Amino acid sequence: MAGAPKKRQKRDESKQEEGQMPQKKFYRQRAHANPFSDHDLTYPASPAAMDWSQHYPAFATTTPSSIPTHDPRTTPPDPNNEIQVPQISQQVQIADIGCGFGGLLFALAPKMPSTLILGLEIRTSVTEFVQEKAKALRLQHASSGLYRNVSCIRANTMKFLPNFFVKGQLSKIFLCFPDPHFKARKHKARIVSGTLNSEYAFVLAAGGRVYTITDVEDLHLWIAKHFEGHASFERVGEEELEGDECVETMRRETEEGKKVERNGGRKFVVVFRRLEDPPCP
Amino acid sequence: MQRPYQCLAAIGPTPRNPTSNFHLLAACGPRLLLLSLDEGGIVSEWSPADAVAEVPEDDEDGGGERPKKKQKTAAQAKPANIIKLTTSCNEQYVVAVTDDKCVRVFSLVDGKLREISQRCMPKRPCAIQVLPDNTTIICGDKFGDVYSLPLHPEPALEAGAEPSVATETTPEIKGKQAFKPSATNLTVHTQRNRKSLEAQMAQKAFSAKKEPLKFDRKVLLGHVSMLTDVAYAIRNVDGAERRYIITADRDEHIRISRGPPQSHIIEGYCLGHKEFVSKLCIVPGTDLLVSGGGESELYVWDWAAFTLKGTISLCDAALSMRVPGMNELSKLDSNGSVQDSISAKKDIAVSGLWVVPCQAQDDTKEAALLVAVERVPGLYVLPTSKLHVVDGKEPGLTLLNLDHPPIDVACIGDSFVVTLDAREEGQDRIRAFKMRHAPGPTQAGSMECTRDEELEEKLRCINTHAVTDSGAEAKALDDLLYGVANLRKRRGWVEPGKAGDDDPDGEAGAEDVAED
Repeated sequence: MAGAPKKRQKRDESKQEEGQMPQKKFYRQRAHANPFSDHDLTYPASPAAMDWSQHYPAFATTTPSSIPTHDPRTTPPDPNNEIQVPQISQQVQIADIGCGFGGLLFALAPKMPSTLILGLEIRTSVTEFVQEKAKALRLQHASSGLYRNVSCIRANTMKFLPNFFVKGQLSKIFLCFPDPHFKARKHKARIVSGTLNSEYAFVLAAGGRVYTITDVEDLHLWIAKHFEGHASFERVGEEELEGDECVETMRRETEEGKKVERNGGRKFVVVFRRLEDPPCP
Repeated sequence: MQRPYQCLAAIGPTPRNPTSNFHLLAACGPRLLLLSLDEGGIVSEWSPADAVAEVPEDDEDGGGERPKKKQKTAAQAKPANIIKLTTSCNEQYVVAVTDDKCVRVFSLVDGKLREISQRCMPKRPCAIQVLPDNTTIICGDKFGDVYSLPLHPEPALEAGAEPSVATETTPEIKGKQAFKPSATNLTVHTQRNRKSLEAQMAQKAFSAKKEPLKFDRKVLLGHVSMLTDVAYAIRNVDGAERRYIITADRDEHIRISRGPPQSHIIEGYCLGHKEFVSKLCIVPGTDLLVSGGGESELYVWDWAAFTLKGTISLCDAALSMRVPGMNELSKLDSNGSVQDSISAKKDIAVSGLWVVPCQAQDDTKEAALLVAVERVPGLYVLPTSKLHVVDGKEPGLTLLNLDHPPIDVACIGDSFVVTLDAREEGQDRIRAFKMRHAPGPTQAGSMECTRDEELEEKLRCINTHAVTDSGAEAKALDDLLYGVANLRKRRGWVEPGKAGDDDPDGEAGAEDVAED
């Protein structure tokens, strides 16, 4: 990508002071990314090996966290316990998969300052933008302590979701305006599929919700069909959704959502609840 | 030049059928041989040419034409090699997977192999197993999906009936429908895409899509990454039997899901591998799972608790075995060299994990784990009782030197049979061994191995069996036998990876490629 080095130069030159908001024009990247190709991604070997204190420094602790260390699913695969990973006082509970430039993240963060929210994005520049913006916002709001609970990671969630989150860790997952992948042979690359829904069910706690929104009706029907067809999920009815402020935030605050509104498009929302697992037969 | 046998499976007497003989199945290229160990001879042979004559009647009317044609051209052009071989627990059926993605079921009636069905899967299977209920097959494919199929496919479906495919395969197009793009003016945001959309709107009709495969199959679960191995495990919890499917993929994941019908529920992951996982092995009678892949260490897991019990380094095989009667003296002197070459090797790929019977010091029956590393002419041995050792001291592995790299292992009674990659005429392609603990104090659990002369006598016919179709070139054989190392991801550059399977246009590596 010949464009990247030039932009980075301009980006560095224009930065005047700490706390100044990053400008989107220096972080633009092509919307499509292939989730199958082996990007030079880094990911933790397991959730317990992840150093979250880098992302949420305000929540770092020196004492063992509330994550129980006898839980085998969070214990690092290191029987001699040689590696000590810095801990944080609570776990990430809300994930925005494909967070883009962070519109939803920064709208939700001040509404729930004691809940940790994580954005996951596969595009490098865009992730950097969100990280810079989070830093800038934290500085600007240093007195009120806002925006310390939000961060962004470059990740391929289709492959590596279980590397970041343990079973039942999340209470909410957002899938906003995902890539429709129109062609039939690209359907496997869609962010929602029967097989991938099992992974979403794994990281979501029972009672947790998956919020989805898209402006492509075909994709909306596909998403609805696949979650409805998955035994671990049930659709949340319209009435129940009315009280949920996350839905309104999702409709209005994402960059893509605002673009759709400018163009006069329609938005299709569907929300699903994660059910309890039935006992083994 | 002779072809090595690339797959082995053993068929023995079962409690239900105690009078039946021991049989050995060996796959040599596209042919399948059945050897009776009581009679000591090859009793049946199957080759794809037979399949042309015996097109099963349960093919679709529409699809009946196509498989026949495919079969004929395939048999004449290049018959597909057998890549996987397994048997049903009741020892009555054999399931083989061939290179053309076909799952073939054979019956073993009257000691003769007879192909009773063949079904082409959408993607190349990487693992196949018949479930203990003897009615279902689970099959994992390279694309990442695990399917369940009935062992015996149903008779021809009614014309027009929908197959019970619980996945999002491309819907059948009955007649030519008008083309309706999913995108609209409102969802398309850039100039270029808008022009594409206008062109699509102008398109009149769909071109006919490929007919879906019309046989009963269900997707049980799927990974986004390439699957490398599938294992089926049963565990007793509070007196009830619980079933699980364990899957391993190229992205270092080992996933444990509930067995059918709840296979959409993931119970947990065993995470920790730093390179691809290529082989899984459940140690019978325990909750231990051994996994190997692109590293020099084997991982031992308590899979029910998702914890790692320890790792076993393949670089530290302290002891090496001397097998009397084998022409190994030259190897013994350069014994260090086999081990050194492993330590020096940065890229180890575990190509096989098997549990074989072995005799303990007090003559009780135990089990031993055999590990094959791709292209290494030897097998690592470890008694399974040593797998429980987790006090930080690594259990010692013993290295059994072989003439050639081992390809597959099967157990017959108290012995095990190994097929070797021996390509020169006159070299043994199959050897039989008996394993036991070395006499004397068992400090490092050293193992001793003797050749089972009696069994080898009976296998002589297989070793001397000439194969008429000698189209075996070295490179083709290498590709067939040694594919594990290809699983390694090359970090640092964008590779087509598995999207290459369904992206013939080379759209993979797409960051710079225009996608419309």
